[in-house]
Amino acid sequence: MAEIRETHGWKWLLCAPALTVLVMAASGPLLIVVIYSFLTPGNMGGVVWQFSLDGWFRVFFRRDIFEPDLVSLNDAHLAIFWRSIWLSFQTTLLCAVLGFPTAWFIATRPPASRTLWLFLITIPFWTNLLIRTFAIQELIRNNGTINSMLIWSGLIDQPIQMLYTDFAILLGMAYVFLPLMVLPLYAAMDKLDFRLVEAGYDLYASRLKVLWHVILPLVKPGFIAGSILVFIPAIGAYVTPRVLGGGRTMMLGNLIALQFGQGRNWPLGAALAMLLLVIVVAALVFYLRWANREEGRANV
Amino acid sequence: MLDRGAALRLTGQQEHNGNTGDGVSKQEAAEGVEIEIGGLSKIFGQGAAAFHALSDINLEIRTGEFFTLLGPSGCGKTTLLRVIAGFEQPSAGSLKINGKEVAGLGPNARPVNTVFQNYALFPHMTVAQNIGFGLKMLGRPRAEVEATTAEMLKLVKMEAMAGRKPSEISGGQQQRVALARALAPRPRVLLLDEPLSALDLKLRKEMQSELKRLQAETGITFIFVTHDQEEALTMSDRIAVMSAGRILQLGSPHEIYHAPSERFVADFIGDTNFMDLPVSAVEDGRARVTLPGGQEAEARLPEGMLPVLGETVTLVIRPEQARLVEPAGADLVAEVESAVFFGTDTHIHLRLHDGQGFVLRRQNTAETPDPAPGSVVGLQLSPGALRVLRS
Repeated sequence: MAEIRETHGWKWLLCAPALTVLVMAASGPLLIVVIYSFLTPGNMGGVVWQFSLDGWFRVFFRRDIFEPDLVSLNDAHLAIFWRSIWLSFQTTLLCAVLGFPTAWFIATRPPASRTLWLFLITIPFWTNLLIRTFAIQELIRNNGTINSMLIWSGLIDQPIQMLYTDFAILLGMAYVFLPLMVLPLYAAMDKLDFRLVEAGYDLYASRLKVLWHVILPLVKPGFIAGSILVFIPAIGAYVTPRVLGGGRTMMLGNLIALQFGQGRNWPLGAALAMLLLVIVVAALVFYLRWANREEGRANV
Repeated sequence: MLDRGAALRLTGQQEHNGNTGDGVSKQEAAEGVEIEIGGLSKIFGQGAAAFHALSDINLEIRTGEFFTLLGPSGCGKTTLLRVIAGFEQPSAGSLKINGKEVAGLGPNARPVNTVFQNYALFPHMTVAQNIGFGLKMLGRPRAEVEATTAEMLKLVKMEAMAGRKPSEISGGQQQRVALARALAPRPRVLLLDEPLSALDLKLRKEMQSELKRLQAETGITFIFVTHDQEEALTMSDRIAVMSAGRILQLGSPHEIYHAPSERFVADFIGDTNFMDLPVSAVEDGRARVTLPGGQEAEARLPEGMLPVLGETVTLVIRPEQARLVEPAGADLVAEVESAVFFGTDTHIHLRLHDGQGFVLRRQNTAETPDPAPGSVVGLQLSPGALRVLRS
């Protein structure tokens, strides 16, 4: 016993380097952001060390330029919050819808060729995100590949405006994050006992009913993991909305960058960053609660 | 083990419902062909890599019988079961269930349910939800699903476990739930794919009698797949012995054991001695053969077989069909090589005078000593012990 306790006594030291990096890199900057959000903006960016709630105030409200006492809701900000959440939700949903058949296809291949398919799924990761996003831009811009083809084939006369819309951002994010949904879904399907599918058919279920009553509940952990992996980076996305949404349709990430850059309002940027964190944590807690309640209901 | 009342109510309600024609009434059970298989083959792969899992199977399974497919692994018995269930489609031939051609139909369109080897219970559903699944998928009203589920839970004595998940009950209990789940939609035929192989010996014996009773009380045709010859002999009405995708012999357990049609069947079922002996006379469907010591003995001939006088034929004799006597005047004389004590009986390994080996199984009593190796003993054969194998 004593010996075991002794080994335990120093073994945690092995974690120390990793722990140090994690604590320094995660909580250090986070702490700085929290502090900055309560300070006064400096004239040329940066902060003045003077306590102020103005940063947090401006997250939600704005003052009239001529009458500083006239306060109204900052609907530009609220629209951006809403768009970020809504687009990330749509991205997650789209990735799930596209990812499920893909993962199913891979999971039902012979084991030897599965590795190859998984390998192919990761190909987009080989190229820089910015380059891939510009490639999408090239595809969907007004005189880009898709519009040129459509006009050439005579289906349309005028190019369809796809670039710099919410659709462009959705398309770009779904493309970027799809592998993050496919991989956990595949992992869940790989563990699926296909005899259960047979049992479902045997007990008079149609294909659709087997999918709904047997397969989907069993690969749910994959959906949960995939949704988290897609939603969190999506809501803070910067490059995709910047390149495909232009300046017109901003997301939270762009708004934060704007405040630290041209806006020269670091406390507001810091407060927005904290808000993003709060949204992510709230979404995560809500989602896991919901997923677990579903589980609980199935128990009854 | 079973609640007889519940089982009888089950049969009663079957006749009462009678709407889908899924249930089988007792009168029907006595006669009639449930499954008719004609010229059925199943080939996996193509060209040179083609594997004939089933070759020209012809089989009739009667309504209400306990039918067993017996054979070593890889003999095609599970493939045949999967073809009947609809998981595999036959490459050729016909398959009729209750007179209706079902080849080409999926498993959800056949009045057949399967008890899977590892039960395949849905892990995300409770015991009750598992049992009610089939009826729910058939679109039966909720009240009926619940009533039948309760009935089935009672039938397999699992009422107390209704709300548990499959992972929270033991292997034997999972087995019962799998049975209840497959019986709940009242199929015409229940397919059982080595359902007892994962259970320990004691539980297996218990489930054997429970299965037999369930079959008798529900009147449903059972098709049982096993590689365990003892299981097949104790439970079946009829057995089909399979090897390499063919049915070698079809008959009652008694026929299969005492009148094996070929060497493989004799060898696979029970322990067997083979002897090559010359024929000295043939009369009335029986042959006389000359035993190694010069004695003559009568041997049963397979139907239609007429050996030529003097021809050497292969005979089978079961190890318990001979007993030890004094060498003088015995049918056979042999030298004891070894004796292995099994408790209820002793297996005595003998060497006949012409060099052929012979294993004798002797029932033990407390006071009979095992014969010493090297001693010479006489053997007396039971009447009808010898049977000629078709060459």
